[in-house]
Amino acid sequence: MTTNAILPTETEQAFLPRERLPSLLEALRRDGRTIIGPMVREGAVVYDEIRDTSDLPIGWRSDTAPGRYRLEETGSARAFDYGLGVSTWKRFAHPPRVPLTTTDPDGMVAAVEPDVPRVAYLGVRGCELAALGIQERILRAGPAGDADHVARRDAALVVAVECAVAMSTCFCTSTETGPEVADGADIVLAELDDGFTVRAITPAGERIVGQLGCNGATRAQVGAAAHQVAAVRSWIGYPLPTDGLAERLRAVPDHPRWDEIAERCLACTNCTLVCPTCFCTSVAVSSDLDGTTGATERVWDSCFTLGFGRVAGDANFRPRVADRYRQWLTHKFSSWWDQFGSTGCVGCGRCITWCPVGIDVREELIAIAPPGAAPAPIPWPPAPPLGHAPTPLATVDPARYVAVGVSGARRETADTMTLALETDDPALLASRPGQFVMVARPAQAVPPISISRIRPAGLDLTIRDVGPATAALAQSQPGDRLSLRGPLGRPWPIDGAFGGDIAIVAGGIGLAPLRPVIDEVLRERHRFGAVRIYVGARTPRDRLFVAELTGLRGRIDLEVEEIVDRGGPEWLGRVGVVTQLFEHAAWTGEHTTAFVCGPDRMMQAAARTLASRGVAPERTWVTLERNMACGVGLCGHCQLGPYFVCRDGPVFSVAELGDTFTVEGR
Amino acid sequence: MLTASTPLQITRRRPRIGVVKFASCDGCQLTLLDLEDDLLAIADRVDIVEFAEATSKRSSGPFDILFVEGSISTPEQADEIVHLRAATTTLVTIGACATAGGIQALRNWADHDAVRSLVYPHPEYVESLATATPIADHVAVDAELRGCPISPDQLREFVTAVLAGRRANLPDEAVCAECKRRGVVCVAVVDGMTCLGPVTRSGCGALCPAYGRGCYGCFGPREAANGAGLATWLERDRSPSDVARAFALFDAWSPPFRRVIDANGGPPGPIDGPARREGPDA
Repeated sequence: MTTNAILPTETEQAFLPRERLPSLLEALRRDGRTIIGPMVREGAVVYDEIRDTSDLPIGWRSDTAPGRYRLEETGSARAFDYGLGVSTWKRFAHPPRVPLTTTDPDGMVAAVEPDVPRVAYLGVRGCELAALGIQERILRAGPAGDADHVARRDAALVVAVECAVAMSTCFCTSTETGPEVADGADIVLAELDDGFTVRAITPAGERIVGQLGCNGATRAQVGAAAHQVAAVRSWIGYPLPTDGLAERLRAVPDHPRWDEIAERCLACTNCTLVCPTCFCTSVAVSSDLDGTTGATERVWDSCFTLGFGRVAGDANFRPRVADRYRQWLTHKFSSWWDQFGSTGCVGCGRCITWCPVGIDVREELIAIAPPGAAPAPIPWPPAPPLGHAPTPLATVDPARYVAVGVSGARRETADTMTLALETDDPALLASRPGQFVMVARPAQAVPPISISRIRPAGLDLTIRDVGPATAALAQSQPGDRLSLRGPLGRPWPIDGAFGGDIAIVAGGIGLAPLRPVIDEVLRERHRFGAVRIYVGARTPRDRLFVAELTGLRGRIDLEVEEIVDRGGPEWLGRVGVVTQLFEHAAWTGEHTTAFVCGPDRMMQAAARTLASRGVAPERTWVTLERNMACGVGLCGHCQLGPYFVCRDGPVFSVAELGDTFTVEGR
Repeated sequence: MLTASTPLQITRRRPRIGVVKFASCDGCQLTLLDLEDDLLAIADRVDIVEFAEATSKRSSGPFDILFVEGSISTPEQADEIVHLRAATTTLVTIGACATAGGIQALRNWADHDAVRSLVYPHPEYVESLATATPIADHVAVDAELRGCPISPDQLREFVTAVLAGRRANLPDEAVCAECKRRGVVCVAVVDGMTCLGPVTRSGCGALCPAYGRGCYGCFGPREAANGAGLATWLERDRSPSDVARAFALFDAWSPPFRRVIDANGGPPGPIDGPARREGPDA
């Protein structure tokens, strides 16, 4: 027998007789790889380390239904007829827990370098391969991608195995992600009764296959393999009509079925954690008893938890289970397309099988967005028109923390401090108005803080004490050092307003991210027409930057007006909401660009009033608050329609947001 | 001058900590002692002024942090918790009894006098309330550690976070999230077991499912616990009394579980009649 070569006798594929399967494992191990593959454990097939072919689920198949999974013995010698494992490959490519930062001996926060094993994934299905590709595209995106995921994928060789059986919960044909194995594998196997057809796809795969000493597969063998997967396709059929589904789903945020599902849905997170494309994580902080050393780790999280939608001050974007279910389903089948240009669902059916109350997404989708329903109005533009900042942004390594010194601390109100930070870091000094930084202190959560002034040798951060992390920050004193990551996010498009009028509308702490806009507009005052600044606060005592605003009032080239919700004996100014300052003003807004920041409802009201004054939604800019945990579009917390608020925003035009700006619970 | 690495708490005095109990088995207090190595480090940083299981020192307060075990089941306890609350800055209930009433709250469905006369030869000597109720029914509670017993990891995290001045990492999510992170195969889906994991708060590390049995809900309901949703699913192939029995354990009196029990005919077993006795003469 000829060894060390694939002999293309009749086909391009090789044939590995069943009894020689161990040689594949040996070749992978010689390549320095730990083999992860399917095995039976706790009554199900899971993926874990395979030491021997006898670990494989030989002679097992799985029977699945909504909320039900049973293994059955077939008596067959086949190892890959089990269907799908409970666990997904994301357990290895995007693990449940990954260390992120530690506190170094100086008390500064430092990122942990990824340390990943060299592995082979054995037995990856067509849908699973599609899912790995989808996760990889998301987690490799952004300024630098997710370092841990990138390292893990680069260290993994993928041996895919074509499906020869399907389960009742499969619908990969509908999502066009299977059953055939498509791009992304290094080696593709198809299992026949007496062995495996073998295709080497990549040079790395060829190196392994070359060591197997296989003969070529016959036409009959290749034909039998193709017939098997074709039979799977026809068995699955087309259980979920996906044609136009993304648009149909987008049109029904108020469908009564969302509330009805919430009566059945337990919001238990199982669907998301078994989903092979769900990638959302949270950051968990730990510390020792002294609070001097700390560490953070990234942990799988889910949009079904209450904590996932929580932001500063215990406000929450998705308090209701109906909101959470809608968020998940519409992301998977609709906004995922807008955001990533692909399906968010690969039709593996795990969310159906592992739902403890058997909710079937296929059934729900057909009920909520039935095929043939009228095409929906599109509430947000299909392709996000991003990149409105002609001034190029500094390139930032999103994992890098920079130590900065606190040079000043000024109390603004009872609960708000402005910290002056000194730094010579070029990226931080190149921050733009509207951008934010993540601020780390040992043993504390890492909150996003918007930049409230950009100086030649430093930055100002204005911090409202709304929880322990911001309280600790607000207690910083001159001489302290902080660890900063950033600048992050898309800035206010000030350049786009050149030659026109400006309206700045701020509510409460919302004035902080607008202060650099005022600074820049004043520096370049000759480039703008009228500049109008409208500032609201809860009470006179809650006003920020009082001295500065008083100074601005004295200028004849600005209009500055203030209002408070509740006045008092010492307040001689106006009382009411901020929109009252301009709803009856004399100006018209055709040439106005508006920059708005404040609580959600205030921004919505301001946008309406600005629109009634003629300011175009494309020129009405708001900055959104979300739980920005990673700051670079990798943790999923701030996903909103087609956007990640941290990366694509936080500054958006009202036109870009469409009805995501106003739908409750989005 | 302070630096970022200067612990904030060195500027404060040592917190005074107490541990007290009402109607309970002392198991949660023992979890504190089970912290072993950490316990000494904690004792270095705080003054434990009241802790019956560990020290004969007694104190009536004031307490910076008071850990309260047990439910309120006698008139005397109902008075005492009010006094303790007044002497305490941060009151933390520990365990299912203190947070939900505990297993003894099953008597809340029963005829108190009938049970009492069955158990005690002279019930007139026994001063007890008709109900066993959680601490929060009597006074304001600042934080809760759940479980029967509480988790040593959560206790350690709570104390560490308090000392570090940060928010404790005690997620209000379903046990399912911990099962899935751990890679435990779902016993409800694979074996059809009754598992309260989807409606129960995490914190145990998915202990029971990891040993192949369903969660019996000892951490009590999580936020948005959809007891009715789970019960509807269970009722497909279980009797109402089996469904009620699953919820009628340590956290039976918590409103989300109580509603399921009531909707399924109350706690099963002859609680309203003569108490069933275990043992030779049963």
